[in-house]
Amino acid sequence: MHQAEIIFNEEVARGIYLLRLCADKVAESANPGQFLHVKCTKVPHPLLRRPFSIADTHREEGTADIIYRVVGEGTSILSQKRPGEVLDIMGPLGRGFPSPPPGTLPLIVGGGVGVAPLLFLAKELSKVAGLEGRAFLGFSTGREIFDTEVFESCGFSVELATDDGTCGKRGFPTELLEDFLKGEKKVQAVVYACGPRMLLLKVKEIAASCGIPAYLSLEERMGCGIGACLGCAVKSAKGGYKKVCRDGPVFEAGEVEIW
Amino acid sequence: MVDLSVKIAGISMKNPVMVASGTFGFGREYSRMYDMNELGAVVTKGITLLPKEGNPPPRLFETPAGLLNSVGLENPGVEGFIRDEWPYLKTLQVPIIVNIAGETVEEYRRIAQRLSPLEGISALEVNISCPNVEKGGMAFGRHPDSAYEVVRAVKEQSPFPVIAKLSPNVSDIREIALAVEEAGADAVSLINTVLGMAVDVEKKRPVFKRVFAGLSGPAVKPIALRMVYEVYEAIRIPVIGMGGIFSWRDAVEFILAGASAVAVGSAIFSDPVAPLKIIRGLEDYAARNLQTRISDLVGLAHRNAAEF
Repeated sequence: MHQAEIIFNEEVARGIYLLRLCADKVAESANPGQFLHVKCTKVPHPLLRRPFSIADTHREEGTADIIYRVVGEGTSILSQKRPGEVLDIMGPLGRGFPSPPPGTLPLIVGGGVGVAPLLFLAKELSKVAGLEGRAFLGFSTGREIFDTEVFESCGFSVELATDDGTCGKRGFPTELLEDFLKGEKKVQAVVYACGPRMLLLKVKEIAASCGIPAYLSLEERMGCGIGACLGCAVKSAKGGYKKVCRDGPVFEAGEVEIW
Repeated sequence: MVDLSVKIAGISMKNPVMVASGTFGFGREYSRMYDMNELGAVVTKGITLLPKEGNPPPRLFETPAGLLNSVGLENPGVEGFIRDEWPYLKTLQVPIIVNIAGETVEEYRRIAQRLSPLEGISALEVNISCPNVEKGGMAFGRHPDSAYEVVRAVKEQSPFPVIAKLSPNVSDIREIALAVEEAGADAVSLINTVLGMAVDVEKKRPVFKRVFAGLSGPAVKPIALRMVYEVYEAIRIPVIGMGGIFSWRDAVEFILAGASAVAVGSAIFSDPVAPLKIIRGLEDYAARNLQTRISDLVGLAHRNAAEF
């Protein structure tokens, strides 16, 4: 647990906020796909912390970013916080994205605020010289698009989709992934995805049919965040349940059943 | 110097603050965050005779100042516990209370039997109050006769003190408390979660597959406090109080209402070190109130109630 001072907390797209924290321990050790478990209030309501994927870190400055969508009470309270205020955070927690084997093409598929951990991933992957990758990003509408240029600066060619067609192709980013893979029959690739459950389900199907590995970052309501309360269960392919906080939030697609 | 130590059911604890079953796993998860030896006692996640996979998600749902859970006693079973969890737990310098649950009286008996050679267990907490399982659990704790039978069976098998964990989902909790006292329980702990539910308005169906789930957190504290107060008057064995304890003030309320010790549960999710903060708060409170021993405060609200 750390007390982390807020440096920046601003709306970067409609309903989407970027929160930058002074958290040198997080900046030092975080891997893409890991999360911070954030206490939004000092009072016992809302009772639970909120888990947020780490969207970026800056080691030199000792900062860590999260990007969140205001969806309920916790995030609404969080969006009112001002620079200088201090947040109680746990983390970095969980298991992140594995690196791609040398020579494989990273394919990123993100939906909405699920793009957040993929930003951090793209930045880490770009440390490998000459990296080329593809990013297929979907948003509900043009006004909710954020940070897509980051992927480009990291060596990813970006294709966009929106539900309403206001930007990029009308439809879902999984359709873009499918189209790409149709044209590249024998590509050695690995898929990294985060977004709504339907997106993850579709990515799992597509990757399986093309015989390429896929890593999915799951979202679930969490209690403790460290595997003690067993609240954030996801059905394991081998029977029983995995815990999103401890065994994930990133899983190899074949490890879990997405429903 | 205030003395926070207490002795309950033969267990000597350096302070009266324990962690509640199900909120602390088997301890290991929190060992990196703080020194667990500072706690009064650690109560493990409930264990059953055979491994149990638990309920399908969702398992958690937040309510105003509360939390509904439907975990369903996921655990590695008694053999898995002995193999994978006990080697770590036995290294701790803090009393370990093992929570046990079963679907039949025979299962409780066999778990107790299997645990009896483990030197270092301080007590068994008999869970007759889990609301999230198909069979057993709360079903035993809702009737004095079946509560008696389970506690009696465990007591006969176990060399360890036995604590009966009671359900609030009964019409008169004193009847159950009296029955388990009669059966030989060394202490009672209360309350387990309050039966509740939530409805998903988009899907237009219950949030949980099992429909009803267990409510904990500050939302249940007044109910828990009332039941501790009632049970304290009804029985002679010690009461361990729990239900929505988030601050030292909550803990003091339970102690004054009759709890010899308290357990912190869902507060740990919000703040893992809440139990330690509560211990510090109790020290300050006891010192301010010129008490030398925290145990002098137990049940004081009953005597002082006469002042009205």
